Amino acid sequence: MKFFRNLNITQRIQIVALTMLLLLFIISALVVFSFSLKRVYSTTDRQMETYLNQISVIVNMAEQKTSSGFDFNDHAILKPIFSSSAFLKTDYPFLVSTSGEYLIHLYKEKHKIPKAELSQIVSHSSQFGYVKYFETKNDKEEEYRLYFKKIDTYNAIVGVPVSVNELTSSLKANRVVLLIFVLLGSVASVIALYYVLRPIRNAINNVTSSIAMLSQGKIPEKATFEFNDEIGDITKLLNNLIDGMERTADFAIEIGNKNLEATFEPLGPNDRLGNALINNRESLKKAYEEEQQRKEEDDKRNWVTMGLAKFGEILRQNNNNLQLLSDNVLQNLIDYLNANQGGLFTYNDDDTSNIYLELVSAFAYNRKKFKQKTIQLGEGLVGNCAVEKKTVHLREVPTNYLEITSGLGDTPPRSIIVVPLKLEDKIFGVIEIASLTDFSDHEIDFVEKIGESIASTLSAVRNNIKTNYLLEQSQQQREEMAAQEEEMRQNMEEMLATQEEMSRKSIEMEGMSSAINETLLFAELTEDGYFTSSNMKTMQLLEYSRTELEVKKIEDIIHPDDFVFFQAAWNEVQSGSPYKGTLRWVTRNDENPYILTSITPTYSETGELFKIYIIGQDVTESKLLELRAQKQAEEIEQSLLEIQVEQDISKSKEEEMSLLLQALDQTCLVTEISVDGTITYINHKNVDTLGDRKELIEGRKHDELDMMARKNPEQYKAMWDQLLVGKKVTREFSLLVNNNKVWVSENYIPVRNSLGEISKIINIGIDISLFKQKEEELLAQLKGGKGNKNEEKS
Amino acid sequence: MNVTSQDLQYFILTLKNCTKYDLTEYSDKSLMRRLQKILVDFNLDIPGLVAAIRNDADFSEKIVKEITVNTTELFRDPQVWHMLRSRILPRFKNNKTINIWHAGCSTGQEVYSMMILLNEMGMLENAKIFASDLNSDVLEQAKQGVYKYRFNIGYLDNFDKVIKQNPLNYEEFNDVPYEKYFDIDKVRDTITIKKHLTEKPIFRKHDLVKDGNLFFAKFDLILCRNVIIYFNYSLQNKVFELFHTNLYTKGILLLGMHETILGPWAAKFEKMGQAYIKK
Repeated sequence: MKFFRNLNITQRIQIVALTMLLLLFIISALVVFSFSLKRVYSTTDRQMETYLNQISVIVNMAEQKTSSGFDFNDHAILKPIFSSSAFLKTDYPFLVSTSGEYLIHLYKEKHKIPKAELSQIVSHSSQFGYVKYFETKNDKEEEYRLYFKKIDTYNAIVGVPVSVNELTSSLKANRVVLLIFVLLGSVASVIALYYVLRPIRNAINNVTSSIAMLSQGKIPEKATFEFNDEIGDITKLLNNLIDGMERTADFAIEIGNKNLEATFEPLGPNDRLGNALINNRESLKKAYEEEQQRKEEDDKRNWVTMGLAKFGEILRQNNNNLQLLSDNVLQNLIDYLNANQGGLFTYNDDDTSNIYLELVSAFAYNRKKFKQKTIQLGEGLVGNCAVEKKTVHLREVPTNYLEITSGLGDTPPRSIIVVPLKLEDKIFGVIEIASLTDFSDHEIDFVEKIGESIASTLSAVRNNIKTNYLLEQSQQQREEMAAQEEEMRQNMEEMLATQEEMSRKSIEMEGMSSAINETLLFAELTEDGYFTSSNMKTMQLLEYSRTELEVKKIEDIIHPDDFVFFQAAWNEVQSGSPYKGTLRWVTRNDENPYILTSITPTYSETGELFKIYIIGQDVTESKLLELRAQKQAEEIEQSLLEIQVEQDISKSKEEEMSLLLQALDQTCLVTEISVDGTITYINHKNVDTLGDRKELIEGRKHDELDMMARKNPEQYKAMWDQLLVGKKVTREFSLLVNNNKVWVSENYIPVRNSLGEISKIINIGIDISLFKQKEEELLAQLKGGKGNKNEEKS
Repeated sequence: MNVTSQDLQYFILTLKNCTKYDLTEYSDKSLMRRLQKILVDFNLDIPGLVAAIRNDADFSEKIVKEITVNTTELFRDPQVWHMLRSRILPRFKNNKTINIWHAGCSTGQEVYSMMILLNEMGMLENAKIFASDLNSDVLEQAKQGVYKYRFNIGYLDNFDKVIKQNPLNYEEFNDVPYEKYFDIDKVRDTITIKKHLTEKPIFRKHDLVKDGNLFFAKFDLILCRNVIIYFNYSLQNKVFELFHTNLYTKGILLLGMHETILGPWAAKFEKMGQAYIKK
């Protein structure tokens, strides 16, 4: 059996088949042989019976022809018939009597049949039959069958001996042939088996190697098959298996490659691997989906967290510049939300009666838009959002809602959110953002959350800015105030200095003025020639009161003889030229004093004549001497002219005084003496008239120079006492200058300062030498009369 | 802080000894007030101030600058400018050159006012403009020609009154745009004189007390407005003498609105409003 086990299946089949075939062939040969033998026997039996019957008939017939009983005639007639064999070479019939004697036989007539056989025949029950016997021939015992028939005629038995050998010899001859055929048939079947089994073997080998590969985990190529037999089925199934394995493997690989959508049909409802894979895929898919979902949620969370951090950072920067901050926040927010445009409005309640939302920053398509826009509370989406303090999410945007389009295409944003920037329910602004895609909830939540931060920052920034602005403003104001203050101080200083200058001059002028008023005639006229004011001296001279004089014109007081002359002068004056000359005036009492008159027109700044000044000196006393005193008169005239020239047209008293002072300076000897008696100033006239040298006189004490002080100290002291209590003193004196006697009439006038204290004494002297000279000459001529008057008047 | 007259004299003397400035003949009262202001501003007392002046030349310079008063404006006292336009400048219309000296020009507004007026009268070509001040800071500002706008909106009124309008003929109106002479920048709060004006004048630091005539020229017109009010009588006369010496005959000295020549020099000038014509 062991041997058998080691054989391959073909060999086994071959061996088994061969063996079985042999057996089969042998059994069948035996069967055929025995059947053939039987048939031969039975055929022989029937042939013999028939044959014996025919012989019996013949025997009968022969009897009838002849006399009863067997005789030679009978013999003679029957002999030929019994001399030919029945069917075989040796089966010659014979006729035997019941006694056992051959009546007719080919060669044993007169012999007797062996008793054994005769007894069997006689004892045989039926008429026909056979008995077996054996004859030894050539040392070989041969079997014979002795067919017999018992006949009535002759009371004899007809028989035929048949050799079995002869009977079966043909069969025996066939036996060899049969054997050869069996062998040939076996070989043929083995060969046939070999050829029939070879493809099967090959197929099995293929299957085997495929399975071997499968067992190693490889996926073999599909096996080819040609038969629709079992092997074919196996191969087919194997191919199905490979196919299935391939698909399963592919599927597994797809899963491995995370292609969870790969299609896969399990090999059958009970495909454990396939179903396991599918389950695996499903669970992977589920896990993946869960993962995706979790990732998505994580992403969202991350997005929000990162956004919060990012905007926290943005809001920390630039928090002193609202514009920059808004721009930054908005641009980044639009960017972060993948939106395409947006605006940031701040809540402006600077003016509580007009609260509105102001667009501080707008971006569209990643470009800053410089738009100015204000929205009232409750106006539109933004205004409403500010009032309701709730986010508005608009999913269908009206086509003309947005003012900015891209220019590249006009896909309107699909969705708009308007989010209030509020902090603790207080609104600080509104952010509006438009996007081409819908906003998801977490984005809106994010914007709202950011909105709070923005609101708080905006509030802080606004406060900062406000504070900074106020600080800067106050700083600037302080600086401006300081600058202004300095300017004011300088202005003030200038004013004060001017005022002081003016008041200083004014005081001086008043002194001068009173000096002039004491010495000269002075009046103001309108442009028509009416008196508007005049000094006492004038009024005294004319003997008119102030009111009387105010209705008079200058021409009313001019002597008719001089009127033509005056008229010409007046015309000159009207055209702008000052007049100077001696005119006879007419007093109330028709006295006609000679007055050295200077008429000076004054013009306003715009060049209009508005005032005319009259300055005069009563030269009546000397007029009589005029012809002889022409020179001196002219000098005075000249001086007066100069005074007139200097007469300012200005409104200020100070100016008019300055002119008078100048005139005085030219005409009179002016000396200024301080209260302690120091001479502080002498004018040129002083120098000219008295020959003094300015530098020798100024700074000296008056009493050192004055003759009276030396000659008559008491009188000098009395004079000073008078002056120091504010009274003016008049005196005359003469002295020799270059051998000429010079007479001077002096008027000492104390001058008070603004406090009313006597600050200095001004001495106005008039050179009266000529008068004196004339007077003396006249006195000498007239010898008497007017000397006293002269003295008084000087 | 009260400053006595003794303190003042001490201060003046120190300044005279330690610097080139001689304020001896400045008006006492004005100087006193300025000194008081300085003591407050610098938080010093007299000994401290004097010590600082002795030790620090820059400080002394600063003190002198603080003392000077630099009040001025464009077309200050428009009536004076009207007179210049209608009565004074026409006298020089036919001169080949017109020499003008702004003595005490401060921050230069007067100089530029004069140049604008001259330009409008077609006389700027022939004019030579000299300007001087004691305070080098204000002189520097004068050279720049940049002024605060907001404090000085009045300038433009003055400009209108002098340049655009004519008080002698109310129908006359010369529409001279401001841009012809100024750049006004409201944001920076500046009013800037155009360059063609600022380039022309010759600016010099100058002390009327002792520097005489720095310009080696005689003048047709000297403007010395609101300067002599800070001087005493004696110094005023010295200044008048200086001006008189350096004016051409018939040359004109223009003083401030409330300034007049009194005393000896009055006779050497013929007076015409604020203008004194050299005889």
